[in-house]
Amino acid sequence: MSKKLEKEFVKQLNENQNIVHKICRLYTNDQHAHNDLFQEVTVQLWRAYPKFRGDSKFSTWMYRVALNTAITLYRKSTRRVKTQDYDSVQFKIEDQQEDDEQMEQLTLLYGAVKQLNDIEKALVFLYLEDKNYREIAETMGITEVNARVKMNRIKTKLTKIINP
Amino acid sequence: MDQLDILKKNWQSQTSDTPHFSTEQLKGLLAHKSTGIVKWLFIIAMIEFFVFIILGVISHFYNQSSDIDVIGIMGKPFYYGTSILHYTVIIGFIYLFYRNYRNISVAQPTRSLMKNILKTRRTMKWYIWYNLIYIMVVGMIGMTLVIPNDPQIVALMNRPEMAGKETLMYFVFLGVSFVVFLLICIVMYLIYLLIYGILLKRLNRNYKELKRMEV
Repeated sequence: MSKKLEKEFVKQLNENQNIVHKICRLYTNDQHAHNDLFQEVTVQLWRAYPKFRGDSKFSTWMYRVALNTAITLYRKSTRRVKTQDYDSVQFKIEDQQEDDEQMEQLTLLYGAVKQLNDIEKALVFLYLEDKNYREIAETMGITEVNARVKMNRIKTKLTKIINP
Repeated sequence: MDQLDILKKNWQSQTSDTPHFSTEQLKGLLAHKSTGIVKWLFIIAMIEFFVFIILGVISHFYNQSSDIDVIGIMGKPFYYGTSILHYTVIIGFIYLFYRNYRNISVAQPTRSLMKNILKTRRTMKWYIWYNLIYIMVVGMIGMTLVIPNDPQIVALMNRPEMAGKETLMYFVFLGVSFVVFLLICIVMYLIYLLIYGILLKRLNRNYKELKRMEV
């Protein structure tokens, strides 16, 4: 593939790499697995890039490819020794104005989200990324009504995990 | 505000210890090969095609070099007819596989992607079934025709102590061949189940979860 295409792709990936990192953090529990998934997502994005026609935003297209890789294509490498480089429920925010109590609550919530199954995580992720139900439904290939119903169930499930 | 919306409010400002990759590092990542399941599906399918084609070719050469005139006994129309049919069907399967494989796009909605992967796998399932049945049927017909003409078996049957037991022995030989064929088929099927089972375990689980939403 041409150098121009590669340059263009890397530029867009660089600008949006945070999206991929957020997905990797949600679906893996250590630094090594995180990088492994990031690598696979990058390869899949790059392979699919020539077919990306720009009729949707790069980031929208990226959500799809990255989530599909995490949920469907990615195979956890089994030979890897598990390391706990990062706390699996770690959630940090930039501005430190939030008080400790709120921070604790956020960590708790994030931990609960990490306990959900692969599909539920994907829906929650898109919801947190401020996607509307139509976009969530389109990405997952389900109906809008089903996406809504499922989201409500997930919210109930999360409440139960936090307040058993 | 519900629980999730509290997280949503702070979601965009999250940071982490994860290193932000530089442009150079990202470029380096592009050179890597995929380790995803679609690639494995492709490799396994190629092995399956290859194994059964080679198996057919080996048995053909074996029949030609054998002391028994297998082709003569089976009759040329039957022998070559089944071979031509066999390879035509295999080519058909390769075409179906190719078509399904091309429909797999990582940028399609999750549900369609999963559906297409499972469809590709189903083609390979039918391919295995076809081959096992072909081996069973043609193998047994071949055995039925060849056993009465095998010099060693004929010599055995002509021994005085075998007098009157020819038909029984004939069925014993056929029965043994059947069991051997059946065992080969079962072992092959189990290997295949294991490989796909391991590969697609997670996909199957997630696909079920997606389908459950529809109810």
